[in-house]
Amino acid sequence: MSEPVIRMEKIVKTYYQGKPNELEILHGIDLVVNQGEFVSIVGESGSGKSTLMNIIGVLDRQTSGNYYLEGQDVNSMTDEVRSAVRNQRIGFVFQNFNLLPRANALKNVMVPLMYGQTRVKTQKERAMEMLAMVGMEERAMHRPNELSGGQKQRVAIARAMINDPAIILADEPTGALDSKTGHMVMDLFHKLHEEQGKTIVLITHSQELAAETQRIVTILDGEIVAERGGEH
Amino acid sequence: MFFENIKEAITSIFSNKMRSLLTMLGIIIGISSVIIITTIGGSIQSTLTATLNSMGGNTVSTYVEARYPENEEDWETWVYPTLEADDYVTQEMIDGLIEAYPDEVKGVAASSYLGSGQVKDVADSDNYANVNLNGVTPEMLEYMKLELYAGRNLTDADNVGQKKVCLIADTMAERYFNGENPIGEKLSVTTSDGNIFDLVVVGVYEYNQALFGKVDTSIPEKDRVTEMMIPIQTSFKLQGTEQTGYEYFNILLTPLADVEQATLDITAYFEEVYADNEDFHIYAYNMQSDMGMINTVINVITLAVSGIAAISLIVGGVGVMNIMLVSITERTREIGVRMALGAKRKTIRQQFVIEAIMLCLIGGTIGILLGIGIGALLGQVAGFVIQNMYSEYANYIIMEVHPSGMAITLSLFFSMLTGVFFGYYPANKAAKMEVIDALRYE
Ligand SMILES: Nc1ncnc2c1ncn2[C@@H]1O[C@H](COP(=O)(O)OP(=O)(O)OP(=O)(O)O)[C@@H](O)[C@H]1O
Ligand SMILES: [Mg+2]
Repeated sequence: MSEPVIRMEKIVKTYYQGKPNELEILHGIDLVVNQGEFVSIVGESGSGKSTLMNIIGVLDRQTSGNYYLEGQDVNSMTDEVRSAVRNQRIGFVFQNFNLLPRANALKNVMVPLMYGQTRVKTQKERAMEMLAMVGMEERAMHRPNELSGGQKQRVAIARAMINDPAIILADEPTGALDSKTGHMVMDLFHKLHEEQGKTIVLITHSQELAAETQRIVTILDGEIVAERGGEH
Repeated sequence: MFFENIKEAITSIFSNKMRSLLTMLGIIIGISSVIIITTIGGSIQSTLTATLNSMGGNTVSTYVEARYPENEEDWETWVYPTLEADDYVTQEMIDGLIEAYPDEVKGVAASSYLGSGQVKDVADSDNYANVNLNGVTPEMLEYMKLELYAGRNLTDADNVGQKKVCLIADTMAERYFNGENPIGEKLSVTTSDGNIFDLVVVGVYEYNQALFGKVDTSIPEKDRVTEMMIPIQTSFKLQGTEQTGYEYFNILLTPLADVEQATLDITAYFEEVYADNEDFHIYAYNMQSDMGMINTVINVITLAVSGIAAISLIVGGVGVMNIMLVSITERTREIGVRMALGAKRKTIRQQFVIEAIMLCLIGGTIGILLGIGIGALLGQVAGFVIQNMYSEYANYIIMEVHPSGMAITLSLFFSMLTGVFFGYYPANKAAKMEVIDALRYE
C-alpha cells in the first residue's frame, strides 16, 4: 500500500504547557487517512476536533507525537516550507468561510495562486474554472457581502481546490448554513471525492452528513473512541 | 506579487479614505511646506539671477571715479575734479586689459547718448521715425542680449574710422521702409538741436520687449521711439567733443571667468594705469556679490524650514505607524487567512510595508501638489514684491516661478523612507503572528 496522505502517531496537544493551568487537549491521537478517502470526524463540542484538524492542516503544531503528511515529517519543516505546504498541498474550508472582504469572488479564489511559487499566465482562467466547478462563475465579480452563506462556502471550496491540493480539510463547513444549503455544499464534496478522487477530512455535528462519508472517526475528550466504516 | 501588493495597498487605503487622509496629514504638511519654501526661494533666486543676468550677469560694471580725500579734514576744502578728455578710459586701455587677462576679459560695452532725433524721408514728408541716437561699442549688442535680425553688427573698424553707419530696430525698419530691405539705405536724422546727420543702415536688431519694455500702444505707431545705434567714436565726432574714451561702461567676461576674480584683476589693472592720475581712478564692481548674500539668506531659510518639515515628517511617520498598528490588529483574521492560504511571513511583512509606503507616498504626492500650487502663488507674490521694490528696473525683471525638481525628488524619497521606517515595525508585528492565533482572533 502506498504512503497514506496523513499518518499521525501519538499526537498530544497541550495548552499553557509548564504553567499551573496546563491543559492537555489531545491525549495521543493515532490517525491514518489514505489517498482518496472521505473521512468525517465527529464528537461533542470541546472534544478537540478543531484542535486536531488545525494540526492536520499545518496551522498549528502538536506538543508531541509524529505527523507525516504525504510521508514528510511536518514537525521538522521550516516556517517557509510549512507555508508552501499549506499553499500547495492543503485546501482548507472554514465554518465561517474566511473570504477576504474587500476582494471579489474571483480574486478570493486567486489568493492561493498569488502566494504560490509557480507563475501561471492563465491564473484567471484557472480561477474561473474553479468557480464554474462550484457553479459560481456568474458571481465571479461579486464581493463576499453580496453573496449568501452557501455561495460564500462554494467560493471558499473553489479557493481550496485551486492549487489541486493533496487533501481538503473542512471544519464544520455546513455549520453556518441551513440544512438544505448544507446538503448542497455536502454534495459538492461528494462530487470532488467521486469525480476527482480528492482525499477529504470533514468535521461535522450532523450525524446525517457524517453517515454519507466512507469513515467516521469519533473523538471524545481528546481521544479517538470509535471508528466506523473505512477500508483498512 | 509586488504589483499585486501595491494594488491591494491602494484598495486598503481607499477603503478607509477619511482615516488615511488624517493619517497622511503630517506628511502632507511636512512635504508641502518644503515644496512651498523651495519654490519661493527658488523663484526669488532665479528671478534675481535672471534679472541680474539681463542687466549684465557675467560682466563687471566699471566707471571713472574721483579720488576722494582720505582725511576727514580735507573733505571741507575738496571739490569734485572736472573730468578732462584724458581722464576717460580709452579703447587702448581696454585692449591692454584684454591682453593682460585674455582668459577673463572679452571686451567692453560702452555707450554715449547723443540725443533724440527724427529720421525724415526726403521723398515722402509723411514718412518719418522717432529715434534715440546712441553711440556704442560693438559689444553692446551682446551685452544687451539683442539679436541681429539682418545685416551686420557695428565693428571696431566702424569705430576707428568713425563711420557714419547705424543699427536700427526691426520694428522701425518694418514701418519706415515699408517692408523693403533697409540694409545699405541712407537715413537722414535731424536731432532735437537741429543737426542733420546722414547715416547708412548696416544692420537691423530685433526689438526686445524685456529690455525696452512693453510697446506703448497709446502712442501712434509711427511716433513710437526706437533706439538707433551708431559707432561710439562716430557719436563723439558728431557731438564735437574731444572725448574719445568711456566713463561708465561694462566689461564683458568670458563664459568661464570667475566674476569676483575678474573684478579684482580689473581693479588692479586700472590702479596701475591710473597710478599717475591724481584726480581720478577706476571703480569696478559686480552684482554677483549682492546675489551671493541673498542666496545665503534663502538657503538658511530653506534649511530651517526643511528641518521643521523633517520633524513633521517624523510626527507624520509616527501617525502612519500608529494607524498601521490599528489596521493590523483589525485585520488579524485576514492575516491569519492569508497565512493559512500559504502567505509566507516575509510576504505579509512586504504587504504591510508597501501599504505604509503607499500611504506615505500618496501623502507626499498630495503634499507636493499642494506645495507646487501654493508655492507658485506665493512665488508670484514674491516676484511682484521684488518688482515693486526695484520698480526702476521693472523692465529688466524676469519672473521665473517653478518648483524645484530636486525638492520634489527628495520629497518623494523621504516620504518613501518614512513609510519604510515607520511601516516596518507594524509590518513585522503582523509577520510574526502565529497563523492559528491570527485565525482564531475575534
Ligand atoms: N488556544 C487555546 N488555548 C487554550 N485552550 C484552547 C485553545 N484552543 C482550544 N482550546 C480548548 O481545547 C478544547 C478543544 O477545543 P476544540 O476547538 O478543538 O473543540 P471542538 O471539538 O472543535 O469543539 P466544537 O465542536 O465546539 O468546535 C476546548 O476545551 C478549548 O477550550
Ligand atoms: Mg471546532
